[in-house]
Amino acid sequence: MTSSTETRAFQTARRGRAWMFGDNVPTDQIVATKVVFSPMEVVLKHVLEELKPEFPANVRPGDLIVAGVHFGQSSGRAIAPKAIQAAGVGCIVAESFARTFLRNCYEIGLPIIECPGASRLARDGDVVSVDLESGTVRNETTGQTLQGNPVDPFLLRMLAAGGIIPLVRRTGSDLGATNT
Amino acid sequence: MNLIEKILAKGSGRKSVAPGDIVVAEVDCALLHDLSARSCREVFEKKVGGKIAHPERIVTVFDHQFSPPSEEKAAVLLANRRFCHEHGMPLYDCGSGNIHNVAMQNGHIKPGALVVGSDSHSPVQGVMGCFCAALGNDSYAATVMPFSKAWFRVPETIRIELTGQTMPGTTARDVALWLCAEIGEGKINYQAIKFCGEYIQSLPFWDRWLFTLMAVDVGAKAAYIEPDRTTIDFANGLGLEDYEIVTDDPGTTYAAEWRWDVGKLEPQICFPPTVGNVAPIREYAGTPVQWAELGGHGGGRLVDFEMAAQVLNHRRKNDHVNFNLVPGNRHIFREVMKSGQAALLHEQGATWFPASTGSNQAVNMGAMAEGESMISTHVRNFPGRNGSPKAQMFLASALSVAAAAAAGKIVDPREFI
Repeated sequence: MTSSTETRAFQTARRGRAWMFGDNVPTDQIVATKVVFSPMEVVLKHVLEELKPEFPANVRPGDLIVAGVHFGQSSGRAIAPKAIQAAGVGCIVAESFARTFLRNCYEIGLPIIECPGASRLARDGDVVSVDLESGTVRNETTGQTLQGNPVDPFLLRMLAAGGIIPLVRRTGSDLGATNT
Repeated sequence: MNLIEKILAKGSGRKSVAPGDIVVAEVDCALLHDLSARSCREVFEKKVGGKIAHPERIVTVFDHQFSPPSEEKAAVLLANRRFCHEHGMPLYDCGSGNIHNVAMQNGHIKPGALVVGSDSHSPVQGVMGCFCAALGNDSYAATVMPFSKAWFRVPETIRIELTGQTMPGTTARDVALWLCAEIGEGKINYQAIKFCGEYIQSLPFWDRWLFTLMAVDVGAKAAYIEPDRTTIDFANGLGLEDYEIVTDDPGTTYAAEWRWDVGKLEPQICFPPTVGNVAPIREYAGTPVQWAELGGHGGGRLVDFEMAAQVLNHRRKNDHVNFNLVPGNRHIFREVMKSGQAALLHEQGATWFPASTGSNQAVNMGAMAEGESMISTHVRNFPGRNGSPKAQMFLASALSVAAAAAAGKIVDPREFI
């Protein structure tokens, strides 16, 4: 089937430096209302700055965000995950996500994974690796490994397609979901 | 199946669904506000394009801006307005009210319907006995606009039963704020809530509203109250026709069943930095506030202004507080004018603002300077959401907000009844 080929071609492993965040991080503090409609290059100068002032200047492509429970709560603004994606973050690992944020991430093609215990897994700068398909999350700096929740095959296909809009182009309006 | 499962099964053309199933279902109504309409329109125009399958189902409410404060924002509203007109989508322009309140009052939400919304508090509409969940922004451009469809994972449902009756001075808003903290922020992520029990059943429609409203704050995907006489009377009062009463099947089981008694509850306050921080309001008595506001998703209801009119009946607002009144929709403003309470509140020093979502996010109003505090009926209190990150937002009942406006500081509202 095309879908399994797509999933195989998609890189489900992610590896990068960790940026640690706490519980209940609201989208308001990922992208503040004052810059919500600014061009992305302006948004990128402020992404997550209220919680970590050094984040916008120091985030590098492939870095990971590792956080506590209910990450991305509050406003359903898609600009929040879009800004994290544009900053080059390769994956967000959190104990849990607010569901509109979760939905936005998969729909724009930004990999995220739920992993109980994630908030105690690493410190800023540790190297963390993730496999979306198996759900393993490993701190390569300390050697500690956790078992996260494997990403649902439907959502993996959405990520592999690059988000919901390219997925619709491939599958039509049923998103290939009628037989799942 | 329960109400949500039945609606998702029907919408996706299946005989039955179970929690965990991913379905693509037909959408009966989609709600956008001025901020999300912009994001959805831009993505649709840039990446999708073409015809909108059912333009009459996509309802836009300009609620964050009742009048654009800059040329740039006027241009955004103009582009949104043109997009609605071009495709024949209903638009409630500046001054119509709060997105959720306007959609309900104007008959866009029917019992048994499958509704989606861009605003995170969209689950509030489940008060009507429908299914309503917030979607990601790109769902609108990818599937809702071109096909009138959306994907859903069928949620598990938790049954929450509230028993008992509240004491004088404790309103439905106090119970809802308290319940959010009792359950815990994000505690029931991805699941749905059924609210039931003698307390919920005893409430008028717009008080029930406050419970499905808070569902998202505990992380729920959707919430509902099974339609009963109150729901049907309300729906008929709006002139709704052709709706379907959907209820849980007898013997339905739930992922969990929780029960609370509301009988001993005192008036509550939610304090910063997040909505899970709630305490009896007397613990914050004496805290000065410079701003008080009735408005937003959790306020601006007719009953809120009636409570304020009782508090300020023979008493002017305190000189050191600005008291903002923001009707949730135009119908409410007309009623409060007809009753004479609009004039009374005006004479006692309160300020009427256009029907809108008020100081929600301080887009059009409601920014605070460092060190200032507001008490309001809004639903969020994250630092920085209303101006300075060093300003404070307290959330409470309309009664407590009005009492604080009268006293110039947070007080136990029972002193005013």
